[in-house]
Amino acid sequence: MSAILDIQDVTVEYSTGGTIVRALDGASLAVRAGETVGLVGESGSGKSTLGSLVGRLLPGNASYPEGRVLVDGHDVLQLGVKELRTLRREQLGFIPQDPISALDPTMRIGRQLELALRGLPNDRAALVGHLERVRMREPERVLRLFPHEISGGMAQRIVIAMTMARSPRILIADEPTAALDSNVRSEVTKLVFGLARDAGTTVLWLSHDLRSVGRWCERVAVMYAGRVVEDGPAEQVLGSPTHPYTVALAAADPAGVQPGERIETSSVDVATLAESFRDDERAAKRRAKTRKTDAESADDPEPAPEEEVVAR
Amino acid sequence: MRLLHWLPGRLLSAIVVLLGASILIFAAVRSLPGDFAQIVLGPLSNEEQREQLRQSFGFDRSLPEQYLLWLGNAARGDFGLSLASQQPVLDELASRLPVTALLAGMAMLVTIAIGIPLGVYAGTHASTGRGSAAARIVSTIGISFPEFVLGCLVVFLFSRFDLGLSVGAFTSPTTDFGRGVVSLLLPALVLSVFCVAATARTTRDAVIGVLVEPHIAASVARGEPKGFIIRHHVLRNALIPVLTLTATITAYLLGGAVIVERVFNVPGIGSYLVLALDRRDYTVIQAGVLLATAVFVIASLLIDVLTGLVDPRVSVAKKGRGA
Repeated sequence: MSAILDIQDVTVEYSTGGTIVRALDGASLAVRAGETVGLVGESGSGKSTLGSLVGRLLPGNASYPEGRVLVDGHDVLQLGVKELRTLRREQLGFIPQDPISALDPTMRIGRQLELALRGLPNDRAALVGHLERVRMREPERVLRLFPHEISGGMAQRIVIAMTMARSPRILIADEPTAALDSNVRSEVTKLVFGLARDAGTTVLWLSHDLRSVGRWCERVAVMYAGRVVEDGPAEQVLGSPTHPYTVALAAADPAGVQPGERIETSSVDVATLAESFRDDERAAKRRAKTRKTDAESADDPEPAPEEEVVAR
Repeated sequence: MRLLHWLPGRLLSAIVVLLGASILIFAAVRSLPGDFAQIVLGPLSNEEQREQLRQSFGFDRSLPEQYLLWLGNAARGDFGLSLASQQPVLDELASRLPVTALLAGMAMLVTIAIGIPLGVYAGTHASTGRGSAAARIVSTIGISFPEFVLGCLVVFLFSRFDLGLSVGAFTSPTTDFGRGVVSLLLPALVLSVFCVAATARTTRDAVIGVLVEPHIAASVARGEPKGFIIRHHVLRNALIPVLTLTATITAYLLGGAVIVERVFNVPGIGSYLVLALDRRDYTVIQAGVLLATAVFVIASLLIDVLTGLVDPRVSVAKKGRGA
């Protein structure tokens, strides 16, 4: 069985005010249907870019000079507007980080749900059914509320209901619990993985939270400086990491230390060990620069691997 | 239902505004240079005659007394007699109100029908450049062209050349509505130019602002078509600043009507007020300006209610303050 999602050596660049920032630098990831993959890495490592890329949802200043993204055999980066829309609608599902701002502030929940479910049965009973699926209490009442009248956890359940209503083949969840209170985090996580399992949906779970990734994902892919640097079964990647960055990441996991113990981020170690990486990075920058007219920014500071991984 | 929480307070403040305005209007009118008795009786009248006239109109009493008398009558719907024509002010204004109302209404209609679609188009095509630049130039010209210049230009062009519409030939909408509309077409268009430009600009900016919101990105991610997203999610959200602008436009239409009616010789409330000012017809000026103030206050109130209906967060904020 071939991969339902096949990201092949993709490069993504953002142009901002004359400078080009490379967000993905030859990232590759192949996911088989039904897999649950946790994508971890520090802020700026390219997780979100990779997630959005699956639906070609990057902002207008992004370009894709190299690589291919195949979703069920369709080359996402080459699709026409209509086909892309159909793909997003029928095959993909996205769950954003901040659920409240993902809802239209001027529209009642019921109406938004009704619009999102266009083409499916969307009468009152169906809407209530969808809210019950995400274990919403008092669904009838919630349908009449506006987004500013509900909590973040409720909003995330609604977004999940909207997304899972079409039983997408691939679900991309970009830190879906980061904006939530810690007591609803595990509930929401459990909900998403439960619904995905029932629908046979492949999950790409972008997260900082190694513990939940280890608990819910079969496979873990680690991103660093725009690439997937380590990829394998969860217990292997998190238990006995091989890439220096993953080693540091796993060591810095607050779950593994005693209260009061100092978390070792070993950023210096990572910086030196990742030297080979930086050389590649420089080469890539030089390649990118040939397209730019000004070679002035040749001494750009390298994105230093800082101790982003902080205990929360 | 939320409306009930803040509407009473809002109504009360509207009444306070009207009271304050009435004091200002009264004081301003009475401090105009030129004596009414002098103007009516002419330079050959003697002091005794003038005194008699002042007494018959109550101008010999103290100003606060005059004000309270006027306010008491006005509250009962009696705005007195026009000093110049000796006709009840209310009748004089009522006979001219339909003309001005139609003029302002037509201008508002043109503003909404052209300004909002133009703004939405410019806003949704902002990244493509060409359409957006054209819209910006058009709106800048529209905003900066004074209506008396534009009005005079139109009057000149349409009276010098045969362009299908005539200026100066006025038909009252109360006698023949269709011809009334036709005769007000040019003044209404001139009056609406600024409003169209301002509305298009505000709508464009609002649309651009809404398009970058995360809930629009979420709709795109759900695979919704562009037209669907604009219809269901962009328009409603972008409407809020446009509604606020409508209050300003109402005020502009009231003021602009005075100038445009004068330029096109339309017998509405605007031109009547200018005439009353020339004649120091205190009662007419007071009633006319108070009427304009009332229209503005009521329009603002309506727009607040509408904004509350479009954006539920607004009425909640007001409720919070009131409770």
